[in-house]
Amino acid sequence: MLLALQAGANGIPFTPVVGFLNSDYLTVRRDFKRIKDPYSGTEYVAVPALVPDVAVIHAFQGDPSGAVVTDSFRNDRLLAMAARKTIAIVEELVDPDDLLPGRHGVYVASVHIDAIVVAPHGAHPTACRGRYDIDAEHIMRYLEAARNKDSYQVYLEKYITGPEDHEAYLEIVKGDAS
Amino acid sequence: MSDKSLHPFERMIVVLSRLVRDGEIAAVGTLSPLPAAALFLAQLHHAPNLVPLIYGDPDTRITDGLHEFFGLAQRGMIDLFFLSGIQIDQWGNFNLSVIGEYHKPKLRLPGGAGSNMMIMMAKRTIFFTITHTKKLFVPQVDFKNGSARDDSIPWRRGVFSHCVTPLALLRFDESSSRLILDATYPGIDMETVAENTGFDLDTTGRSIDEIVPITEDELSLLRGPARERLRRVYPLFCNMLWT
Repeated sequence: MLLALQAGANGIPFTPVVGFLNSDYLTVRRDFKRIKDPYSGTEYVAVPALVPDVAVIHAFQGDPSGAVVTDSFRNDRLLAMAARKTIAIVEELVDPDDLLPGRHGVYVASVHIDAIVVAPHGAHPTACRGRYDIDAEHIMRYLEAARNKDSYQVYLEKYITGPEDHEAYLEIVKGDAS
Repeated sequence: MSDKSLHPFERMIVVLSRLVRDGEIAAVGTLSPLPAAALFLAQLHHAPNLVPLIYGDPDTRITDGLHEFFGLAQRGMIDLFFLSGIQIDQWGNFNLSVIGEYHKPKLRLPGGAGSNMMIMMAKRTIFFTITHTKKLFVPQVDFKNGSARDDSIPWRRGVFSHCVTPLALLRFDESSSRLILDATYPGIDMETVAENTGFDLDTTGRSIDEIVPITEDELSLLRGPARERLRRVYPLFCNMLWT
């Protein structure tokens, strides 16, 4: 998938990959095709480029120009470069001079970003490296709720459709802990 | 040291670490606390020149996430990788994607495609499974994400090396192209392993070694400095295992 995004980010229609031969991917993915290397004649598999209509990424910081700094363990920069539109959720907005990758960040230029949403704690209940850990208790609550339709509906109303905005959602989450 | 006071995961971590060689470049992907712990332990115990690339470890400083890991593997720079599976069969084919029919699955997991490239392009792959049952070790996988080896693909360099489970150490036998029993843990007999495996592990007429019990040295490194390093990557796992 990452190589397919890489092709998308470079405007190339497909890419050969080292993989998938002699696997069941070739039977379930008709868009994966066997091709011959035009130089050596060796067989590989080609996959079509991935160009998402919209990518949503979560970043540490953003600036008013639309540039962001995101987690270096993720491939958010690649995703932003491949997608037609990218929305970045950021923990905070900072001055352009303070938007520095630091020890675990990657700078993504504003030309790749279409919109920024400032939402502190926006990755909840998952983690944001260096800022807050995963909320394991909430994830368990979600897993329990997702077991059947009724409890899932209750979860959706309480946490997703009910709260007016992200801040209201965080207040409800805070209420769970106390 | 009595193995009885050990958590099965601790035994697995030690067995995994013994398979790691000094000087290797070894990578660990997502959701893999056991191999991550094994690399930390190996580095402290017998592999000081090991280069661990552990996804999520603050000491693994990369800029391009898994894309960077994959690129290294494709260029032949990863000596050792670790994978798990929801099914593994007698030929060493593995399934990380679906139980049941692909388009109407009983269980569907995310991702898995990267595993196909990794087992082909990392020099060897060690598997780990947190259970050992007939549901996991099946005669034939429902979906083949990848195979143990493939001589028909000229650019493939990687092979299925071993599989570490809570009950035994299995290995891929090159001559028969099958997954076979390599060794048992102290206190777990061959019959127990066979009863929980959905295919023959080629034990007839072969003498099967017992895994050397964990040494005091290994255990104190694991519960000491290795654990402290692991805590920075997998805090929840450490809390579960060592409270």
